Amino acid sequence: MESIILVWLAVFVPVAGAFLLPPVGGVSKGARNLGAFAMVGFSLLCSCLLLSSVLNGEVVTVSLPFLAGNNLFLADRLAVFMAIVSSLVGAVIVLYSMGYISHYKNQNEYYFMVVLFLGSMMGIVYSANLILIYLFWEITAISCWRLIGFFREKTCVIRADKAFLVTAFGALVMLIGFVMVYGQYGSFDLQTIKSASAAHPVANLAVLLILFGILSKSATLPLHTWLPDAGVAPTPVTALLHAAVLVKIGVYVYARLFVSTFTIDPAWETAIPLIAGVSALVSGGAALIETDMKRIIAYSTVSQLGFIFLGLSIGNDIGLAGGLLYILMHSIAKGGLFLCAGVVEQKLHVKDITRLGGLIRTMPVTAISFLLCAFSVMGIPPFGGFFSKYMVIAGAIKSGNYLITATFVLGAFLTMIYLFRLFAMVFLGEAKTTPVAEGAPVMVGSVAFLAVLSVAGGFFISYPSVFVQSAVHQITGVVQ
Amino acid sequence: MTSLLLILPLAGFILANLPAGRAFRRMCIVLPLVLSAVQVLLTLFPKASWWTAGNAAGLSLGFLRIDGISMLMLLAIGLVVFASSLISTATVRDERKNRSFVNLVLLSLLGMNGVVMVTDIFTLYVFLEIVSVCSFVLIALQREQAMFEGAFKYVVLSAVATMLMLTSIGILFLCAGGTSFTDLSSMIARNHADYTVVFAILMFIVGLFIKGGIIPFHGWLPDAYSSAAAPVSILLAGIVTKVSGVYTLIRLVVEVFGATPKTSQVLLFMGALSIVAGALAALGQKDFKRMLAYSSISQVGYIILSLGAGGALGIAGAVFHLFNHTIFKTQLFINAAAVEAQTGSRDLDAMGGLASRMPVTGATSVVALLSAAGIPPLAGFWSKLVIVVALWKAGHPVYLAVAVLASLLTLAYFLVLQRKVFFGTVAPGCDSVKEAGWRITGPSVAFSLIIIAVGVAVPFLLDTILLPIGRML
Repeated sequence: MESIILVWLAVFVPVAGAFLLPPVGGVSKGARNLGAFAMVGFSLLCSCLLLSSVLNGEVVTVSLPFLAGNNLFLADRLAVFMAIVSSLVGAVIVLYSMGYISHYKNQNEYYFMVVLFLGSMMGIVYSANLILIYLFWEITAISCWRLIGFFREKTCVIRADKAFLVTAFGALVMLIGFVMVYGQYGSFDLQTIKSASAAHPVANLAVLLILFGILSKSATLPLHTWLPDAGVAPTPVTALLHAAVLVKIGVYVYARLFVSTFTIDPAWETAIPLIAGVSALVSGGAALIETDMKRIIAYSTVSQLGFIFLGLSIGNDIGLAGGLLYILMHSIAKGGLFLCAGVVEQKLHVKDITRLGGLIRTMPVTAISFLLCAFSVMGIPPFGGFFSKYMVIAGAIKSGNYLITATFVLGAFLTMIYLFRLFAMVFLGEAKTTPVAEGAPVMVGSVAFLAVLSVAGGFFISYPSVFVQSAVHQITGVVQ
Repeated sequence: MTSLLLILPLAGFILANLPAGRAFRRMCIVLPLVLSAVQVLLTLFPKASWWTAGNAAGLSLGFLRIDGISMLMLLAIGLVVFASSLISTATVRDERKNRSFVNLVLLSLLGMNGVVMVTDIFTLYVFLEIVSVCSFVLIALQREQAMFEGAFKYVVLSAVATMLMLTSIGILFLCAGGTSFTDLSSMIARNHADYTVVFAILMFIVGLFIKGGIIPFHGWLPDAYSSAAAPVSILLAGIVTKVSGVYTLIRLVVEVFGATPKTSQVLLFMGALSIVAGALAALGQKDFKRMLAYSSISQVGYIILSLGAGGALGIAGAVFHLFNHTIFKTQLFINAAAVEAQTGSRDLDAMGGLASRMPVTGATSVVALLSAAGIPPLAGFWSKLVIVVALWKAGHPVYLAVAVLASLLTLAYFLVLQRKVFFGTVAPGCDSVKEAGWRITGPSVAFSLIIIAVGVAVPFLLDTILLPIGRML
């Protein structure tokens, strides 16, 4: 009973609370900022409190009496893991926003949309049926639309519309897929579908349609074009949407539907890694030639998402565990990278890396944090990112698909090159701009916190990895 | 006491035209407001004993009947008439025109209430004509050239529809020997292969297509909607064409003509055509109200498509979308009225960034457009979902794909609208724009709240109201 209340609170405190923020902001800005942080933090707390019951193997289901046979929410280890990762990074980003956003217009709308976004992310994570997933999925698209268009310039609002249209198109295609699944099993409920699809695998066309929606949200080739363009948004938004949380929605729904619920044709275990591999290589190449700081990191995200998809879709336990771990490590490290870029951008109003240089002398904390997060994304031991990347590649080798493995090793190599290039051009060399001091304490503090987490993620890898492995066992139905 | 819904507007009409003093006449402005508010309140309690009171005493008229769908339509009629009348007090300043507006709105209210309650095809026709004639005059109320053009197109095409429907009624009457729905439906069930009967049915349906503005019979609709004065276009787009074209079509197809495979094919095709063509046409519009008008054509297509899918779910989807469309389209026309009243323009390219100047209008229009585009959790999403599931169950995967993907077109043109008018930076010349008065923003907020409330409460509504409607018909 208590766990059920926790799930309700984790979802509805931010979703409903978000609507209170604009009126509160009319009275006091400080109260609004703190309120936003408190709501996201509270949601994180609820998810953490759920840890103990899910670790005992309990699967918390929430249903309403008049929705016969349809569960509303479901909390298992996978869901709790994902909820903690996204609300943790979300909370740091909200904290960082207080420094970054403080002198722009439309702040009420900003906090409203960010908290609504994180709340609906919780909604997706805990959803127990396809309709609810779709519902929260589109709410995140709405907030994403308003947030990308935050600055109201013509290019911003046009690109916001583009992002909304691409993701909404994907979502509509996915909805057709959901309706096909409903037609096949007569239910939108995940657990009902799970037991029914064990005997009759989901139709390939439905899988393809749903996958299309997932790829559009996770900005995987060929539906990635909106993500680099969305860099016109304020930096905490890009960090939130395009590094840490939004793109992970697609990955999570993939894990939830195709790994944990549906039984699908084994051919997908080759097809999806192939799509992911192409996506990782092409966007890695794009990151190598871009000169806009945020676009490089955005392309890097597209590339790294390929690794996550590889891990989740390769069809063995080690790959799966690696993929989930990758979600955690990548959210932290990529969030850190974006936020560092934000510090630089806010101070200098320059995003072009050819016009930057030597910033390490005046912004040492930001530079070191950037480097630490970059090490984690590259997968250098002993940083957190190393373990996840290792496990994903190990999973690919275990599956015996060497061509795909080689593609991803090449992708990992590209990651190193473009991140070192970015670091060197922005922070090393001679200064090309007027020297500026370090950013606001709350911003630099958030950045340093994420960098420390990236390091700690490597040294204390055993905690998350034990949890992830138990989640994998629960997903694949292995009795421990 | 259902006949009171006809008698009261008539009494109001007579009252408003009594040869009394000016002060009294000015008071008459509240008549449509009061009557529609009463109607909304009554329909909110469909189970109340009021509805059956007097039946035993023989006070009710034999050809009137109220079921779930009529109740829902009465509610929608009340809401839209209320909003339109309230906005007319803010925008129609001329006293004489104001009086004409009051008279005509009361008559339209009478006509629409009649249309949704009758059980006889000839009486239905009479009420339809009352509504149409009121609309002609309403469109041309302000006597500008564009208004006459819009009204004239409507008169001409409506005359064609009238001719078709009247001929059809004549043939059906000859075949059945009566004009009540029960007489006709039993006759049609017996003679469904008879070409004369099929021809008559087809003529009636085409007449209703004209009234509802289905492509390719839509020529009058954009002109009429966009040229009319603000309260009139709200009334017209929100409810008049929906009742006289779409509701009547649903009622007749389901209850009288019967959903044969052939009719379903026609409805599905016409629906899909309207959805896609209407949305594509809307994409290219530069005028606020014209874009909304084409959007109406497209959304009505969804209703027709759902009706074509048939089954309890399809009919429930059609009725649900009809209700939702009434709400969000009324809301959008209210916002268009607010923008036009404050900036004096309907040209999308001349506006920009109005959300910072008109925050209420900007925010409510986001709600309405997302509902129209079928984005959850708003009301419009659920009706489209019901339609999509109905299409799947009826085995029309191609129409399903059209319906779903056309939502993207809807989203596209509404994003253009929102971007050009409200989002973006403030356009030069829009600096001094202020928010509209409460008589315009009030209804707008109320309709937004209805959209959100229906969207959130849909699991309750689906089982208690919508599916029973689908099964009952």
